[in-house]
Amino acid sequence: MLPQGLWALSLSCLASHCLAAGNLENFDELLTVRPLRDGHVTTRFLFSITQAGATPRVPDAILEEDEHRRCIAQHYSLFPLSLGQILREYAVTEVHLSLNAGKWDYGSWGMPEDLAVAGGAELWAWMGDSDRVGVDERWKGLRNALSGLFCASIGEMNEMRTTSPTYAFRPEGQLPLLFSNQTVTYQLRHASLPSEHVCTENLTPFLKLLPCKSLAGIASLLNPHRLFDADWHGMSIHVTWDELEGVKLQLSVQAVFDPVRSSTQQKRDFSFQSLFDRSISTACSVASNSKVEVALPQGVGYAITPEPLAFRDQIAVYDTSELVSEPLDISVRYPAEGSFSYPLELSSPLTDFEISRTFTGTTQSSGKLTVSIQNNRADDLQILYVETMPWLVTFYLHTLDLRVDGQKRDELMTRLKYAPPEAHGRPTLLEVELTIPASSILQVSMEVIRSFLRYTEHPPDASRGWDMPPAVFVVRNGNDSMTYGERVYTRPVLVDVATPDFSMPYNVIIMSSTLIALIFGSIFNLLTRRFVAIKVGDGNAANGDENELRNEFG
Amino acid sequence: MLLPRLFVNSLVLLACLSCCLASVKDQRNSVAVEEFFRLQNADGLPTSTSLNHTNNWAVLVSASRYWFNYRHMSNALGMYRTVKRLGIPDSNIILMLADDTACNARNHFPGAVYAGSGRKIDLYGDNIEVDYRGYEVTVENLIRLLTGRLDESVPRSKRLLTDARSNVFVYLTGHGGNEFLKFQDNEEISAFDIADAFEQMWQKKRYNELFFMIDTCQANTMYSKIYSPNILATGSSELAENSYSHENDNDIGVAVIDSFTHHILQFMEGINKTSHASMQDLFSTFDHRLIKSHAGVRADLFRRPLNEVRITDFLGGVAHVGILPEDDESEETVNSAEELGGHRPILPQSASLWTTMNSTEPLGGQSVEWRATRSWTAVALLGGLAGWALMSG
Repeated sequence: MLPQGLWALSLSCLASHCLAAGNLENFDELLTVRPLRDGHVTTRFLFSITQAGATPRVPDAILEEDEHRRCIAQHYSLFPLSLGQILREYAVTEVHLSLNAGKWDYGSWGMPEDLAVAGGAELWAWMGDSDRVGVDERWKGLRNALSGLFCASIGEMNEMRTTSPTYAFRPEGQLPLLFSNQTVTYQLRHASLPSEHVCTENLTPFLKLLPCKSLAGIASLLNPHRLFDADWHGMSIHVTWDELEGVKLQLSVQAVFDPVRSSTQQKRDFSFQSLFDRSISTACSVASNSKVEVALPQGVGYAITPEPLAFRDQIAVYDTSELVSEPLDISVRYPAEGSFSYPLELSSPLTDFEISRTFTGTTQSSGKLTVSIQNNRADDLQILYVETMPWLVTFYLHTLDLRVDGQKRDELMTRLKYAPPEAHGRPTLLEVELTIPASSILQVSMEVIRSFLRYTEHPPDASRGWDMPPAVFVVRNGNDSMTYGERVYTRPVLVDVATPDFSMPYNVIIMSSTLIALIFGSIFNLLTRRFVAIKVGDGNAANGDENELRNEFG
Repeated sequence: MLLPRLFVNSLVLLACLSCCLASVKDQRNSVAVEEFFRLQNADGLPTSTSLNHTNNWAVLVSASRYWFNYRHMSNALGMYRTVKRLGIPDSNIILMLADDTACNARNHFPGAVYAGSGRKIDLYGDNIEVDYRGYEVTVENLIRLLTGRLDESVPRSKRLLTDARSNVFVYLTGHGGNEFLKFQDNEEISAFDIADAFEQMWQKKRYNELFFMIDTCQANTMYSKIYSPNILATGSSELAENSYSHENDNDIGVAVIDSFTHHILQFMEGINKTSHASMQDLFSTFDHRLIKSHAGVRADLFRRPLNEVRITDFLGGVAHVGILPEDDESEETVNSAEELGGHRPILPQSASLWTTMNSTEPLGGQSVEWRATRSWTAVALLGGLAGWALMSG
């Protein structure tokens, strides 16, 4: 009787604990729509799920039975279980994954709402160090697990693509002190895969992580056929931890649409129906906050329907948590405007600085990497420049050259950190802090060599070249502080490496086998065959000459 | 004194009787279960019945890269749509696509892949899971997938988690030649590799029956080297014969599907989950005039007559449900849950349902239970006799 009672008691404790944990979860959704001056419209879907009171798993506890497994870790009400299991399995404190297609045009679109706009796939994670299960092992597991979850090739982000930059990827949340009496070190792992495609198979599992899937709430707008038609589209997940908020998961989908392209009258009017071919008909009932925010156009006459709930700083706010009768189809029209003409003149850029990165060179073995950074501000700009390249591109650091208006200005570079590549292994990592003088262009260039790859190291479409990860630029906040602002990515560059004629090995094999057969055959013949004279009867006079063959070797 | 004793005795007898009844029922159930699973023969090979498998898996591979090979992607996606429609869940389908046509910059219809010039059915749809894509589609990965030799951290969605009761459908498409199939224009898988991979699967008890289909030039050579049992194979064309595309779409700009796959998909459109159509029905529709090549079938390794092999045995999701009535009427096992609802009346009360999850354990458990009930019956009988003796004495 006693054990039974105990069991019941513990069970009830467990149940109450679980309930308590479940109640602390919260789901918010927010759609931000922003018309841009070049006729484009950016949309950003943000789904946040917070699990208050939850803490990331202690890495040392991985090998032990997870006490929380039965309760907190496995009993989510809103937090996606499939992702929660991965985070727990590999004791990940903070992880950021993004899958994007296209090039974000900072100059005309401004800073994105979600900073993770690197082309292709990017993954970075902060994990607590542990003697028992190393960070690298867990990083590999995390990559593979996420690649399975999101149907992406993230598993390919192996040691050849993994780096740990010092300043550019600081944790966006907090890192818990695992033990009060012991200092715990956290490690960063970062990798990007610029050639990754993004398509419906990535969106499908993404939508399955949401509490309402794509059936209700703002997620019902996410129509893959329209999303993947957008000029720029991307999705990302961010998991952070905060002492006050607990574990926070942010799922985000961003897209930049061009309503002018799809309009028959060349107008930049847009609505949910025209952008997504859908409207919001049902509210996601588990969302505690469900809003749509539309930034109102500046300096032109416009009409917005239906009437917003509230206005705040040139933003129209709608509440989608209680849809009354008809589906929500927000539409913005420019009644006074005829057909929209794309601005021909280059208007002033929306960012403090602009970057262009090019790879030049006429041969396939060497080349030059040139980065030019234009400072649009009236004061100096301190920027951290992070460049990661797979080992097949090696920098000649002694050729690093900084020029402003053709003048050599080496003093503009401070705090250089360089990790040389390891052939067939670790990538190159270069971190430089640059000062860009007010309203001027700084040109950074250095010579590189491109390696000659092994026959088997080429990708299947070898002649296309290799996509090199984007460079990252981070502005330093103030002159003295060590904190950094928002990350800006360049576009990936394509590097052409020398490719062999892939049929060559077969030619070599065939040629060498032929030669061997010929040489061996004739030598073997000579060594083993005996040539002797044959006396044939006199009757065959016609063949007489041939019969007088003599073996000169005896 | 007598009354309680009588009471106790009658109780004992009752218990004894019910025990006997229960054991009889157990025995009958175990026989039925045995019937249901049609256990393997003494030589370890399954007997020729249709009820040997408990789960279905599909491996669909499009091995070609580049936009102009659009049709190979739509071949594989057409098969994906068919097996999904016939009931194999996404978790049991391994889809390998070597390139991304749906979101290709050249695709005028983003997020969509069509298999006909009318563009009626979007094969990509809103809900698709591609397990291996792009550079991950390699010969090594395919062989690792089939044989189960994968790294520990590889997720479940990228594994073929089959067992000795799995019916596996393997579909390959791409460019090929005599005894080889090209992967991404870069490497080849040979007919011998395929044959050895299947043999390894057989030895590791990774399939019950396997249906191998290949659509490529000289496809029939690809199955010629297979030597493992219970494999049914079909291919699109003979040695030294090309396999042609079916039609072009002018807006997409390239050929959208291959002839052989188009023909099979056409046939499959007439099939639903409850269909009784057999493999023989499918193979008899192979016509040189329609397919433009000589499609071949290899059934010498297969132990069942083809007219008894249902298409849904391989391309459909299995849900075996057996009904064991309590009374003595004939016991029946039914293939697939739909049939249960559709064609046969559901027997009232205590109809035991077996969803076939595990093959051998229930049987083992039954026999142990049977032994236990037998011994308890004996004890109860002895007790009853002793009680009787005491009472009469």
